[in-house]
Amino acid sequence: MKTVISSWLLFRLLFQPTAVFVELSDTRPEPHSVFFRYLVWLAVLPPLFAYIGASNFGWRLGAAAPLFVPPDDLIIVSIVYFFMLLFGFVSTAVVAQWMASTYGARHSLGIHFAMVTIIAAPLVVGSVMHLFPHVFLNLLVLIPTLMWSMYLLYKGLPIVLRISPERGMLMASALIGYVLVAAVSLLGLTVALWGRGIGPSIGV
Amino acid sequence: MVAATDPFVKEFYHDRVVTALVMFSVIWIVLGMSVGVYVAAELVWPTLDFGQQWLSFGRLRTLHTNAVIFGFAVSALMGTAFYSVQRTSHVPLFAPKLAWFCAIGWQLCILLGGLSLLAGWNAAKEYAELEWPFDIAITVLWVCFGIVFFGTIARRRIKPIYVSNWFYGGLIIVIAMVHTVNSLAIPVSLSKSYSIFAGAQDAVVQWWYGHNAVGFLLTGGFLGMMYYFLPKQANRPIWSYRLSIVAFWAFTYSYIWAGPHHLHYSSIPDWVQSLAVVMSLILLAPSWATMVNGIMTVSGASQKLKTDPALKFIVLSLAFYGLATFEGPMLAIKSVNVVSHYTDWTIAHVHSGALGWNALITFGTFYFLVPRLVGAQLYSIRLANIHFWLALAGTMLYVLAMWGAGVSQGLLWLSLDEIGELSFSFKDIMASMPPYYALRLVAGLIFLSGAVLMTFNLYMTIKGRRTVQVQPPAVTSHRV
Repeated sequence: MKTVISSWLLFRLLFQPTAVFVELSDTRPEPHSVFFRYLVWLAVLPPLFAYIGASNFGWRLGAAAPLFVPPDDLIIVSIVYFFMLLFGFVSTAVVAQWMASTYGARHSLGIHFAMVTIIAAPLVVGSVMHLFPHVFLNLLVLIPTLMWSMYLLYKGLPIVLRISPERGMLMASALIGYVLVAAVSLLGLTVALWGRGIGPSIGV
Repeated sequence: MVAATDPFVKEFYHDRVVTALVMFSVIWIVLGMSVGVYVAAELVWPTLDFGQQWLSFGRLRTLHTNAVIFGFAVSALMGTAFYSVQRTSHVPLFAPKLAWFCAIGWQLCILLGGLSLLAGWNAAKEYAELEWPFDIAITVLWVCFGIVFFGTIARRRIKPIYVSNWFYGGLIIVIAMVHTVNSLAIPVSLSKSYSIFAGAQDAVVQWWYGHNAVGFLLTGGFLGMMYYFLPKQANRPIWSYRLSIVAFWAFTYSYIWAGPHHLHYSSIPDWVQSLAVVMSLILLAPSWATMVNGIMTVSGASQKLKTDPALKFIVLSLAFYGLATFEGPMLAIKSVNVVSHYTDWTIAHVHSGALGWNALITFGTFYFLVPRLVGAQLYSIRLANIHFWLALAGTMLYVLAMWGAGVSQGLLWLSLDEIGELSFSFKDIMASMPPYYALRLVAGLIFLSGAVLMTFNLYMTIKGRRTVQVQPPAVTSHRV
C-alpha cells in the first residue's frame, strides 16, 4: 500500500473524482506528510488572496465606498484566518477519525487528513475570488464550489474509507453537521474580534 | 383493511384524524412557503405589492410566519402526537370527537386568522400577531389538544410514559402557559386590543413567549417527533434512553430563561440579559445530547437507507439541528449579538432551524407515515430522493445568502469614518442588498419546488385509499 499521495490527485479531482477516490482508498499516507506537503500550503492561499485583495481594493460590501482595514490589522486578520483554516482542516480530520469507529470506517489519521484535504481543495481554488473582495461575488463563486465539495464528500467518503454508500451517507451528514458548526463559529469569532477592535473600525 | 388483530379487543386506533392533519399540514407548507417566496420577491422588486395594502410586505410576512408555524408545524405536531401517543400508550385516542374538533377547529382558526392578518388586524407582537378573538380560540383549541393527549396517556395500558410523550406534553403545557400570559390584552374593538403589559415588561413577556414558542414548539415538539419516528424508522431503540430523559429535563429547565437574549442592549435590566446569555449557553448541552442520541441511534441502521428515503431527511435534519442549536447560544453572546442583531444573520439562523431542522424532519416523518397510514407503498422513491437534494440545496443556499447579507449589514451599520461618524446610511446599506435577496429568492424557490414534489408524491400515495384500521396490541403485563 502506497504511503505517499501524488500531487496530481488534486488536479485529477476536477475531471475524475471517482478514480481519485479509488486511488486514495489504496493509500495509507502519513498525517505529517499530508500536513506539510499539502495542507499548510493550501491553507495559506485563501488568507494570502484575501490580504492582497483587501489591501488593493478594500472590502466591497455593496455600499458606496469600499472598506479599507488598517494594514497592521489586516495582517493580524489574515494570520488569524490562516490559523482558523488550519484548525478547521485538522479538526475536521480528527473528528472524522473519531467518527470512523462508529461507522466501521478506516481509522488511520493520515487517510482522514488526505480525504479532508482533497474534499476542501475546490474551496481553496474558489478562494481566488478573495483577490477581489466583493462579498457578493465571493458568495456567487464559493456557493457552487461548496456544493461541489459537498458532492465530493458524499461521493468520496465511502470509497476512501471503504464503507457502504449508506454508512458513508450517514457519516458524511454527521461531518457536515460538524463543518457547519465550525463555519458559524468562524463567523462568530470574527465578529467578536471586530468588537475587540481587531479589524475594521466599528462603533461598539 | 385491518392491520393487526386481537379477537378480544374490538377497538382501533383513531388514525383518520392523523391522516387529515398530515394533509392539512402539507397544504399549509405549500401555501406558507409560497407566501414566503412572494415576500422574498418583494424584497427584490418592491413594486410587487401593486400598491395593495393586503399585498404589502408587512401583512404577507406575518401571513408567511403564521402559516408555516401554526398551520404547517402545529398541524404536523398535532397529527404526529395523536399518532404516537396511541402507539406508545397502546390505547386509542381519548375523546376522538374532541380530537376532530381540535383538528378542524385549528385549521379554521389559522385560515380565518390568516385572512385577518391580510385585512390588517395585528396585535403587534411577533409570532403572536393574531388579535384577541383568535387568541381565545387558540386557547380553547389548545386545551382540547391537551385533554385528548393527556387523556390518552392517563388511559395507557403500559406503565412507562415514553420520552416522545414527555416532549409533546412539554409542548402542550408550555405553549398554553406562554400563549395565555403573552396574549392578555384589553380589547377595544373586534379587531383591536392593547396588551396589559407596557414598555420593558411588555418586551420581556413578548420574548419569554417568542423564545419559548421556538423552544417548546419548534424544538421540543419536533424532538417528540424525532424520539418516536427516528427509532421507528431505524428499527432500533434509542441509543441512550437515560440520556433522553436527562436532556428533556435540562432542556425544559434552561430554555424557559433564555428569552431576554432577544433584547440585548435594550432598556431591560442588564442582569436579565446576562442571565439569558448564561442560560442560552447552558442550553447547548441538552440540545446536543439529543442530537448525539439521534445520530447514534441511526448510525447502526444504515441498511435501511437503501430502501427508505425518509431516513435521509431525518439524518440531515439532525445536522442542521446541531447547527441551529449551536448558532443560537453563540448569537446570544453579547459581543456577537452586537453585530448580528437587526441583520439578516438572524433570518439565516431562523431558517437553518426552520428549513433544515423542522421542515426536513417533518418531510422524513411524512414519507414514513403516509404510506403506513393508508397501507400502501410510497408512490415514488425517486421523487423523494430528488426532493432530498432540492431541500439540502435550498437550505444551504438560503443560509449562505443570508449569512453573507447579515454579516455585511452588521459591519456596515457599525462602520465609523475617521471622525467617528457612521460611514453609511441605512438607506444606502439596504440599497446594496437586492443581490443577496435575489439569491435567497432562488433558494426559496428550490426548497418550495421540493415541497411541491412531496405534495404530489403523497397525494398519489393517498389517492383513492382509506386510512388503515389498526388495533392496539394485546398487553397482558405492566397494565396501569
